[in-house]
Order: sequence, then C-alpha cells, then structure tokens
Amino acid sequence: MTDYVDAGEAVPHKTLSATKGEAPATSDVNHERIQNATSEPENWLTYYGTYDGQRHSRLDGINRDNVKKLVPAWVFQAGSVGLQSGSSTYSFEASPLIVEGVMYVSGPEGKLWAIDATTGEELWRYRHASPYDVSLCCGNVNRGVAVGHGKVYLYTLNAHLIALDAQTGDLVFDVVNGDVRAGESGTVAPLIVKDKVIVGSSGGEFGLRGHLDAFDAQTGERQWRCYTIPKPGEPGSETWPDDGEAWQRGGANCWVTPTYDPELELLYQGTGNPAPDFDGGVREGDNLYTDSTIAVDVNTGEIRWHYQFTPHDLWDYDSTMENVLFDAPDGRKLLAHADKNGYFFVLDRTNGELVRVFPFVDRITWGEITPEGKVTAKVYPDEEGVPVHFWPGPAGGKEWTHMAYSPNTGLIYVPVQEVGATATRRRREFKESIPYWGAGVAVDLDDHYGFVAAIDPLTGEEKWRWRNEFPMCASTLSTGGGLVFQGTPTGEFVALDEQTGEKLWSFQCGSGHHSSPSTYSVNGRQYIAVPTGWGGWVEGFLPGLLGAAAGSAIFVFALPEN
Amino acid sequence: MTATESDRGSELHAAGLDGQNRTALGRLLGTGSIGYAEEGSDGVMRATVRIPEDELIWEPSILVFPHGGDVELTLINDDKNTHCAVLPSDGDPKIIWLVNHSKGSARLHLGGPGTYYYGSTTGNDEGRGLTAALVFGGEVPDSAKIDRPAQPRP
Repeated sequence: MTDYVDAGEAVPHKTLSATKGEAPATSDVNHERIQNATSEPENWLTYYGTYDGQRHSRLDGINRDNVKKLVPAWVFQAGSVGLQSGSSTYSFEASPLIVEGVMYVSGPEGKLWAIDATTGEELWRYRHASPYDVSLCCGNVNRGVAVGHGKVYLYTLNAHLIALDAQTGDLVFDVVNGDVRAGESGTVAPLIVKDKVIVGSSGGEFGLRGHLDAFDAQTGERQWRCYTIPKPGEPGSETWPDDGEAWQRGGANCWVTPTYDPELELLYQGTGNPAPDFDGGVREGDNLYTDSTIAVDVNTGEIRWHYQFTPHDLWDYDSTMENVLFDAPDGRKLLAHADKNGYFFVLDRTNGELVRVFPFVDRITWGEITPEGKVTAKVYPDEEGVPVHFWPGPAGGKEWTHMAYSPNTGLIYVPVQEVGATATRRRREFKESIPYWGAGVAVDLDDHYGFVAAIDPLTGEEKWRWRNEFPMCASTLSTGGGLVFQGTPTGEFVALDEQTGEKLWSFQCGSGHHSSPSTYSVNGRQYIAVPTGWGGWVEGFLPGLLGAAAGSAIFVFALPEN
Repeated sequence: MTATESDRGSELHAAGLDGQNRTALGRLLGTGSIGYAEEGSDGVMRATVRIPEDELIWEPSILVFPHGGDVELTLINDDKNTHCAVLPSDGDPKIIWLVNHSKGSARLHLGGPGTYYYGSTTGNDEGRGLTAALVFGGEVPDSAKIDRPAQPRP
C-alpha cells in the first residue's frame, strides 16, 4: 500500500462560505450610551431596546398610514449541520441588536452572527460548541446578546459567558458560570451595566439553587453572585423548612434579562419557580425568593427588596418575565409585571410596595389574589396520584415573551396565553441532573386561545384586545408610528393599531413566532426585524401546535425604497 | 471490556446492527469500539480515528477525554471511498475532506463536560454509521458550582 494522501488539517467550516469575516467598526457602546438609548432610536442597543424594558422605539417611518406597504427587505436563514443539542426543541427566540447598521443576533445551538442590517449579508459568525447531552429544560434556545465595550457577549447553553470582538467575532474571553452536571444551562441575553455584564441561571426543572451574576465586562472576572435562595440563617431562609435540604434545590432561576433603573442603581430581576415545581409538601413555606421580583443593587449584588407573586407555588408559575419600568403622571417610579399566574402587578420600584393588582386573563382557577395582594390558593396538586386541572397552565397567562409600553398611549401591550393544564402529584426523590417536577403534567391540547391586550397600568382597564385562535407566544413591539407588532404561533407577523387593536398588516413567515422583534433605521430607512422559528417549550405553552413546522430565520421588513 | 459490554457486542451482532446492510440499511449509531485520548505534557489530548474499509464507521466510535480542553485528532481514511469529517469546536465547526486512503488532522477546543458528535456530512454517509462521539469527562470549575452541599446523583 502506498503512503497516505495528505489530507491536511481541518479548517473552520465558515471558510467554505461567503461570510466576510469582519464587520465595520462602530462607535463604542458604553453604559452612558445604553442609558440614553431612547435618544438614538436608529439603534437597538440592548435586549429590551432600553434599560426600562419598554420595548418601544420612537421611529415613525413605518406608521399606521403606510404599514400596508411593508415588504420583506431580506431574510437570513440560520440552518444547521450535524447533530445538535435538544434537536427537536430548537427555537429562534432572540431579540436582534443593531448598532450603526450592524445586526448582532444569536440563534439556537450556540450560534451568533454579525449581519449587515440593510442587506442581510453575513459579516461574521461564531458557534460555541454545545454538548449534545446538556440538559435543556425548555429547549435549545438563546434569547440574545449584549453589545458594548467593543465586544459581543453571549451566554451559552452550557453556561459559559463568552465575549467576542465585535468587529471580528474573535474570542476575547470564555468564563464558565454554571454547572452542567447539576442540570444548569444558559439561555438569557446578557445585560451590560456600567463596567459589568450580567447573566443568570437557567434550569428551573432540575432543582438548582438559582443565581444572578455580574462579571467585569473587559476581563470576565467575577464581580458578584447573588443567590436567589437564601442559605439557612440568611434573610428569607425562614420561608424554607428548618430541618430539610429543600433550600439547596429551591429553584428561583434567572433566565430572563433584568431591567435596570440607573438612578436607583437597581436591577429588577424576575425569578423562577420553586423546585420541585408541583410538590409543595417537601418545601413547606413561602419559598423565597422564588416567583418574585428582586431588586438587586448592581454594585454589590445585594437584594434590596423583593415582592413575591405566588408564595409557595404549586403550578410552575415562574415570575422570570420582565419588569417594565415607567413613571406615573405624578412622577411615582413604578414597575409593571404580568405574571404567569394571570395577575398584572404594578409596584413602586423604589421599595417594592404593591400599587395595584388585577387579572389580565379570562380564566384563573388556581387561586385568587385580592386587590390588596392577599393570595389564596384554591386548586392545586396535593393528593398523590389525583389529577388536578387549573388555569392558567404552567406556561402562564403570559410566559417570558415580553410586553411593550408606549409612552404615547400610556398602554402596555401584553401577549396573552389562555391555556390550562392538568397536574398529578407524583413525589420523587431528588437526584442531581434529573428533572425534578414532582408531578405528571399534561397541558391542554384544545380549549385554548390568545390575544394581545392593551392595558392601562394606571387603572387596570383593558382598552382593547386583538384576539387570536391560538395563544400569543411572542413579544410585542411598540413604535412611534402608532403600531404594535406581534408574531403568532402560526407564522403571521402582524401590525396592530396602537389605539384600537385593528389589524393593519400581516405577513406569513412560514414558521411560528417565539421571539422578540426589534426595530432600527439606517440612512433614514426604518426596518422591523423578527426572528422566526417555532419551538422551545411548546409542550408547555401550546402543545396543540407541537407538530407545527419548525424554522430558523430572521425576517426584516421595510417600506419600498421608492 | 466487561462481561456486560461483551454481551452487548454479541447482541448487536446477533441482531445484525453492527454492520452495513444487515438488518438495517446502515450501522446503528453508537456501536463500535471505545477509545481513550492521551494527554500530552503540553496539555493537549491526542487520539486517532480511522475509517475501515466498507464499514462506514469511525473507529473507535467513542473517544473518551479526561476533561475539556485542546484536542488534536488524527483522521485516517482506510476506505476505498471518499469521506469527510465535520467536527465541533468552539468558534466554528471544522471540516476536513478525506479522499480514499488519506490522512489528516484536526485541532479542536471543546469545553466539556459532555458529549459532542461529529460525522461525515457528505451525501452518501450521513445516517449510515459515520457519526461518532467525543466524550469529555470532568467537572466544571469550582467557581462555577453552586454553593450548596454535594447532592446525590443518579
């Protein structure tokens, strides 16, 4: 036999593509600039667009009068090669960031791209290799990146915080922040505040002890970790059994990006469900700080105040979803939170005092919350082996997908899910890395619907609703053009009149929406960007569409140039 | 090899699952032998994988590494057909084209712990058995662990 043919050395896959390998230089994005992001609506600088989580842009080039002319400007297809983690659950959940004509967006499976925001041309790509067997409680997903300090930050499925050079996509640092052997993962979009980059834990179904973490944005050195379950002796520990191990597995993960008040220097972090989700008998007490908003001092990581929405949760009612910051006409600093449990809360964000609570869904059977905030559980899995049906189901009246607040109307546009579930308590012992629910759960396959609700947070009044056959499982976007954009589970991307809820435009994207659209402009032309790709924890929020077409693409819309 | 593994091999063989075009069309994924990488004094973990003639399999099919880190693979195609390998690596997957009777290499970085799969993604290969595993043991750094007492594992 002759000598082997020299096959050389393996080369990066991307070298066999048209990707350019470099993005144009942009101005530095720093804390001050993000803090004033409202003043540069041509960019979408941070996860929610602005620190306050309003998901509103002043851009008005696309408006009620011309939205009917909206057409696709370009489409970016993500695709995949080979086996991937949680291959049946991938979903395109991100909110694209845009800085001076460059889009930075993450997809499932550790993928991150820099894309020309006007043409869709791929400028560079990075793919963090993800173990096939990493535990993903709710799908192969990532909700986005942070951009700043000349870098792009991604929190990976296997809980690495990585920083890349924003211009080249080259790795700057890679810090491990979670324990995959404990069932921990990473899905959250990082947040840059000051010199820090903030991320939190995912893995709510594996009995973790949740945490929020801050790292030096330049070096990756840890600055603080805030545990969301107190150890024995710490404040809040009295809400856990004295003699047990429940606190060690208590949950309260932080898998949605916090909002931030620069004046108060407080992060508003929603926390996840307690573990086990449905078996409260092994964790008697209120189980702080699960299902709460915690106000965290950004400088120290200390919890300044908390408000718990579902004490001693027995329904998987995470409260991780956003806390939208807005000010009342009298100047009072408020916070709005639409919880999984079906109630809409308005809090004083300086101290956590309840201002108002009211239901925002049609069907609530699990319990009741009085206007004063008193919580009474009514229907819950209690007796071993006995099925219990309740509304809302474990995905909640609203899941992580975000609402938007328009300062023009004073309304909050909420994507609502009306779907129930049946849980049957099945006690099990805890084993690290094994799902820890404490129940068998089946979410309803029918009798579901959804709507976008326009809610006045100052009164609790629902001004209008746009009803849909299926629950709404994507974020809303509010614009200065008087529009509310919303994707549906069946693939339509719609524009609603912010005043009336009338549907003014729609486009079928070919796969369901479970992401957060953003908007930007380049050379005066406004664009609307929306990742599409049905997937994630579908069995939780809409199992009736478990068989719907998957996808993995970004659609970008604009008005015709002429 | 333990008695159990031997039994497993016999069972796969008896069922016609450990070769091409026996019971199934291809070879069942996850069959094949287990190999171990060797860690050099430079900290790089090295191993060799080979495509035997007409088997459409990487041998060993499962490579075990003690921990995450830098990897150097030698890839040998002893087959009389052309194949390739697309291998996971932080930053971007790496690809190497392996014509008949060729030999090449791949330098990878994989964080672990956990299992990563690679394979020949050419048209005739996927699904037939040319998908293999790189398995990394070890634990995450102490700085990444949760502050709690050691927990029971399965």
